[in-house]
Amino acid sequence: MISKNLTAASTKPIILGILKQGNSYGYLIIKKVKELSGGNMKYSDGMLYPVLHRLEKEGLISSMWVMEKDSVRPRKYYEITELGKQALLKEQKEWSQVNDILHAIWNPA
Amino acid sequence: MFDLEKAIQEWLNQFKKHRAFDDGELREMDLHIRDHIDDLLAEGLSPEAAFKQAKDEFGEIKPLAIEEFSNHKRSTTILSLLKTSMYKNYIKTSVRRLLKHPLSTVINLLGLAIAIGVCVLVYSFGYWVDHVDQHHENKDNVFLTTAFINRNGETQQWGLSPRPLGEMLAQDFPQLRNVCRIQERNVVIKKEDLVFHEHLSFVDPSYLEVFTFPLKYGDKSLLNDPGNIILSRDMALKYFGNENPIGTDVLVIFDNGVKKSFTVAAVAEKFPEAIAIKFDFLVHYDNIETALDSYNAEDWSQSVKATLVSVDNLKTIEIVAESMDKYKDLQNRAMEDWQIESFRFEPLSTLYQNSSSINKTISSRYYDTNKMSHTILSILAVFMLALAAVNYINIAIAAAAKRLKEMALRKTIGASRSMIVSQHLAENLVTTGLSLLLGIVFGKFILVPWFESQNGYNSGFHFLDINLWFYLVGVMLFTALISGLYPALYIARFQAVNIFKGKVKFGRGSFITKVFLGFQLVLASILIVCAIMFTQNNSYLQNRSWGYEPDKILYARVDNYSMFERLKDKISQYANLKEITAGSDHIGIHYSTKVMHQQEKQYEMNVMAVKPNYLSTVGLEVIAGRDFIANSKADKNSLVVNQKFLEQMALTEALGQEYVMDSVNYTITGIVKDFHFHSFLSDIEPLVFIVGEEQDFRNIAFSVTKGTEMESYELLKNSWAELFPEIPFRGGLQSDVWGSYFSEISWHGQFWRIIAYLTIFMAALGLFGMISLNLSGRVREFSIKKILGANIQHIGITITGDYLWLFLIAIGISSPLSYYLVDFFFDLVYPYHISSNIMSLIISAFILVAVLWVVIAILLTQVHQRNPIHGLKEE
Repeated sequence: MISKNLTAASTKPIILGILKQGNSYGYLIIKKVKELSGGNMKYSDGMLYPVLHRLEKEGLISSMWVMEKDSVRPRKYYEITELGKQALLKEQKEWSQVNDILHAIWNPA
Repeated sequence: MFDLEKAIQEWLNQFKKHRAFDDGELREMDLHIRDHIDDLLAEGLSPEAAFKQAKDEFGEIKPLAIEEFSNHKRSTTILSLLKTSMYKNYIKTSVRRLLKHPLSTVINLLGLAIAIGVCVLVYSFGYWVDHVDQHHENKDNVFLTTAFINRNGETQQWGLSPRPLGEMLAQDFPQLRNVCRIQERNVVIKKEDLVFHEHLSFVDPSYLEVFTFPLKYGDKSLLNDPGNIILSRDMALKYFGNENPIGTDVLVIFDNGVKKSFTVAAVAEKFPEAIAIKFDFLVHYDNIETALDSYNAEDWSQSVKATLVSVDNLKTIEIVAESMDKYKDLQNRAMEDWQIESFRFEPLSTLYQNSSSINKTISSRYYDTNKMSHTILSILAVFMLALAAVNYINIAIAAAAKRLKEMALRKTIGASRSMIVSQHLAENLVTTGLSLLLGIVFGKFILVPWFESQNGYNSGFHFLDINLWFYLVGVMLFTALISGLYPALYIARFQAVNIFKGKVKFGRGSFITKVFLGFQLVLASILIVCAIMFTQNNSYLQNRSWGYEPDKILYARVDNYSMFERLKDKISQYANLKEITAGSDHIGIHYSTKVMHQQEKQYEMNVMAVKPNYLSTVGLEVIAGRDFIANSKADKNSLVVNQKFLEQMALTEALGQEYVMDSVNYTITGIVKDFHFHSFLSDIEPLVFIVGEEQDFRNIAFSVTKGTEMESYELLKNSWAELFPEIPFRGGLQSDVWGSYFSEISWHGQFWRIIAYLTIFMAALGLFGMISLNLSGRVREFSIKKILGANIQHIGITITGDYLWLFLIAIGISSPLSYYLVDFFFDLVYPYHISSNIMSLIISAFILVAVLWVVIAILLTQVHQRNPIHGLKEE
């Protein structure tokens, strides 16, 4: 099980990463995270929403209510913005740096 | 049985306990849990189990709320507010609305812009007043020596100081950084063909250390050479244009007739705009010995214009101040009539502010007057803002009639009251923001330049001043809030259901709208009365008698006795001459103050020393006793006093009263009717005439045959040029002496008239907006009336009836108010003025009603031209 702190720290790149693959709404995003982590990340579903709202306020993602044709319910779709894409690149770089460092330490040549 | 719907609702209700979630977010949670439950149901769980699992996986609500709430807190900057889509939309809709309703937009924008323009003016004026003489680097360490003198029982502060004081202070207190004496004389300055009367300052070389006047050419130290002269930039331009004048010689003719050549050694940079202490020409103080015959530096009975000291440490000034008794004694022994009670050192930084109460200050005495003008202007600005805001409120409420359904719809789909209020306020900010821009342009480029050119000052305020922006943004927020809050709350109050049902109606204007309109009319009416009364007062002052006959008198002022004799001989030969007289003093030009004793008492008195025929020549009326008699030895001891003198001395029987002045005994032999020897802006003061010594005469006054005044004036100028080619002419028609004063008072009238025009305009705009909205709310009513045969007059009468009573009430309230207000105001500003009168009130009322009719007439013409069928279709 991945620790709480690490989970919290990785939420932002994970959400931005998921949204980069396509627009999505809250429930679907969480489902995806759970799937990808294979249950290794312990999320309470609700905590995702404040993160989404914060990212929106920061301008990294934007939202829009959409009524899909064959759906009974409207959905609040989130979309990554240009700013969000840049932020994601930065996150990617940072995480791979961390990864490289850990890798170098644990696998000395 | 488990009720899924109920469980979900209960779960959602827990969110509502926390203020962190708005409607959109709640909906999001709602959808989330439903999606999740649907999936779990599809996996075959029971509704109860599905709900429980979805709820558990969702997590606790409280930490979620805390997290969400911290998001909100982070977001409360204005920028982030603007970024949120809600406010972006508000601004978008605001701009669209403004474009959709050009009439109310123009009214709101113009009204607010005018008011904000006035605010800019107030700011620039205040900026100027507060910055006067604040550019001196050492202003906190420089002090003017002032003395307190007891006169007629009251203590007066004087800026003059005894002549030897400066030198002695410098000797006795080496810890003083600088001591600087200033003496001023009127001189004639000549450079080739250019000859003018000028004001020359004799100063110690430390002058340019004490004051901060950067030099364009030359160096501070050049003031050490008594043969050098330093020019202000204006004087350099006057005599040399744009050339560099360094090294050029100019000739100075002192008033004792002595001439001395000086070399231009330095030129000052342009002075700051806000300035009271300045100079035209500076020369070394020692030159005073050339300018004055028999100068004695040790003479304690003589004074200098100013003695300034500067210190490195503020403690020093306290030490010096404590040791001033020594000089007080020296002074008081030498001057019996000028007993100093104490000295005080006035800091340069606050000298301008304190100078209103300092006699003969080197600063200006207008601080109090300026402060008062500033207060009046501020009140005016608040008036105008109130007018504009009321316009706004009225129009916004009336316009709301058209937007009720929009509001109701927004409420139905979940907008809270606070959201509607904030939408309105956002719209307001857009309007006030635009008016702010317009107002700044209006203020900076029209109002301020006009006001400054009329008052002969330049505030030098500029857009880079950060305080200006704080001030303006403050004004804007204030206006947006007061003008927007009420309409916003008002609109938000209605129940959506009632609006859809048609229960809430506008049209005739609510009670509160009328109260606002009435308030506005009251304000407008007061300002109109002000304008009328100021105009009336101008013509009153212009026609007010001076108490003598300035129209028939010409005068000339000379520098010394030989000039006097030569000019007098020349004038005596004029064919049109009726009478010629002279004096050391002359009305409106010069008088002196002396100390008068009667037994133990002493009074400071205005004295004019004249030739015996002076009173009759200038047309003063002797109302008791007798005029001076020519060549009478006895009249050397006679006094002719004015009525004010009797009043101040509380004399019932004046003739025969005895006084002593300069050790000479005088007896009152005559009383003249009061006359103005200052402008009408000052009270008439007590004054005595004595017969002067011919040797001291410097003024010639003469009367000529009626109708030949202008001709004689030309003749006088020619004679002068012939006799004194080196000295510029100084004299003219006596009636021109106060020319600048009349332009000043006529400016007061002009100012208030323009303010009144603006106010009338704003009130008319507001009225126009109100009535036109009222009309548009009643289109159907009027259309039906028209179809049924009502003619336009009937409709006009109906509308007039709606508003006329409001006008009458407003006039009823404003009339007594303005009556007393203007009277109070006049008492404050003018010693001599008309009293409030009914006529001005009637005119003001008439103007207001005329505005109402004009507005109604314009609007009715529009109604008249419309086909009633369209009107019926409209609603």
